[in-house]
Amino acid sequence: MTRYQSIPTGLDGLVEEGRVHRSLYTDRAIFEREMTHLFGGTWTYLAHESELPEPDDFVQRRLGLRRVIVTRDGEGRLHGLLNRCTHRGATVCRQAEGKAKRFTCPYHNWSFANSGELRSVPLPRGYGPSFDRAKLGLGKIRVESYRGFVFGTLNQSLPPLQDHYGTALSILDEWLDRWPGAEIKLRRRTHRLICNGNWKLIYDNAADGYHPGFSHASLLRMRKARYGGGVDMQWTLGDVDAGLQTVADARNGCTFIDQRAEIARYWDQAAPMPGEEAYAAQIRARYPEVAERALDVVVGSGMNLNIFPNLLVIGNQLQVIEPLDVDRTDLIWYATALEAPNLPPEVNTLRMRLQEDFPSFGEPDDLANFEECQAGLSIPEMDWVHVGRHMDTGAEYDGPRGLTTGPVSDELPMRVFWTEWLKRMQSDDEMRAL
Amino acid sequence: MDDFLDDGIMGAGFTLEQILTDAVTSPYLDDSYYDLLRQDMAEWEAMGQPLSEAERASHEALILQENWLLDRRAYEKWLHLYSARCLYWIPAADGLPAPEVADPQHQVTIAFDDRRRLGDRIVWLRTGVASAQIPVSHTAHLSSGFVRVPTVREGEVKIRSSFLCHEIRAGHPVQVLSGWMGHVLVEEEGSWKIGRKLVCLLDAGRAHHNLTFLV
Ligand code: FES
Ligand SMILES: [Fe+2]
Repeated sequence: MTRYQSIPTGLDGLVEEGRVHRSLYTDRAIFEREMTHLFGGTWTYLAHESELPEPDDFVQRRLGLRRVIVTRDGEGRLHGLLNRCTHRGATVCRQAEGKAKRFTCPYHNWSFANSGELRSVPLPRGYGPSFDRAKLGLGKIRVESYRGFVFGTLNQSLPPLQDHYGTALSILDEWLDRWPGAEIKLRRRTHRLICNGNWKLIYDNAADGYHPGFSHASLLRMRKARYGGGVDMQWTLGDVDAGLQTVADARNGCTFIDQRAEIARYWDQAAPMPGEEAYAAQIRARYPEVAERALDVVVGSGMNLNIFPNLLVIGNQLQVIEPLDVDRTDLIWYATALEAPNLPPEVNTLRMRLQEDFPSFGEPDDLANFEECQAGLSIPEMDWVHVGRHMDTGAEYDGPRGLTTGPVSDELPMRVFWTEWLKRMQSDDEMRAL
Repeated sequence: MDDFLDDGIMGAGFTLEQILTDAVTSPYLDDSYYDLLRQDMAEWEAMGQPLSEAERASHEALILQENWLLDRRAYEKWLHLYSARCLYWIPAADGLPAPEVADPQHQVTIAFDDRRRLGDRIVWLRTGVASAQIPVSHTAHLSSGFVRVPTVREGEVKIRSSFLCHEIRAGHPVQVLSGWMGHVLVEEEGSWKIGRKLVCLLDAGRAHHNLTFLV
């Protein structure tokens, strides 16, 4: 028996109301189509502008499996470039990040501006009249940025980013505006976690309000044993649907868990973090006017906003899903700092410590469960994955912003995801580099 | 397994019950502690001297005992090797991490455990319900190249060493971690304790599969 079956005659019949077929997680042909039709086929998160603040800065990223470079040119304009020499195909950039006015391919030294144009080739007399330098720039991705979040696509027929993901971006505004005037800065160190599972297991989980009381039993038990009740995530125990959290359809595949109504005081419900007492005392002594509000923005937002297909804004982190193969994914957690003239810098020391908590005591258990899902889903005789929770209980309603909303354990987010997934996978929009 | 862990054979230790109530606040990680870590980082760069017989008997033996207790999963005894104001730190940057990329006051790390978070980690490992530790990790630590690195700090000893750590969980491939460690030893109540342990992974900047065990 081969591990990967070839694609059935199409995608028909694989996504049903309330259940999806296991091959969506295990079939390599489906994975390959996702890498063009979802990643780059729709607006796909690439980078945050704070990672390339100055002219001529760049970062290298992936757009699906494509290696791409996000650059700022000398005038500060953003570009998305396919990292592929137009001569014979080598990558022109081999660094993860840096500063460069030009990318010179190490193989035969064709040299490209950081805006993509081919600037020079060695021994140019070897090229005759048919050689058109203007047509030999690096492939360009359509990029747009919203409040520092840079997205890219190769789909030239999509509406502008703000129209396409308008609802999700309005929720992102609330995540960004917790401290008026503050800017989010990505810190360069990250948690990079390997999951030997399909990337969608991670997206599925990002708005799964059903799992925490169970999948995170280790964290919850440890906290209770050490600190009693009252610290973070206690709202995930018991009948969560009787609580105040909700999930919502944030449109076009985006999904949202809102936990904010469960949080009476952010600082009081924070997870423990090294240096907590020392810095709380220092902040209160040095900045009495803003201290309590400042301590609150140490703590995660109480929002999980997932922007299709790869950006998960959770707590204070940006998690980015990087699929590597049908059963292998990197999950990258970018820590964020919050900077404003009137915000105590000590807040960020505590934010760094707090953003180490969940990758240590929470996420690893989920990743282990995703891997076990992948193992289970490889069994050919069992076809279906059930995503029908609260589908027909009458619990969903028109909530804030007119969005379909449900109790937190509702699998509405998964159904929202699969609807958009199918639409993109069946789309015959042309993917084209500029 | 606990039967083998009596004090007589493996040294003194805590019980899990003691760890539950040990250090449930975190008052000592302040600006001056972060200053100390920056000073440490500068000092680790220096050339070290091979240990004398006496230093081997106290300092190298302590680090080898630490490895042994970790490999035996004797975490309650392991914590007993640490000082009251201790730190267990794994930067998320490669090599001898430069301050501008690895200063923990401004960056996240793979692990940055003060005494309280070490207690959390042990209690977490002992819950028995962490899916990431079902089945549990077993490790084999190998340390060598112990040198004493000069420090300006009175009463502290800096020991640098190279390490390899193999980790296996049933059903998963062997993971190999390697790099160097820095141990800052301090005297507390008449014996040497680990004040600060720095673990610099060769591949700290890359993705890892499940680092929920202790290195
Ligand atoms: S492949 Fe790039 S210059 Fe030849
Ligand atoms: Fe989770």
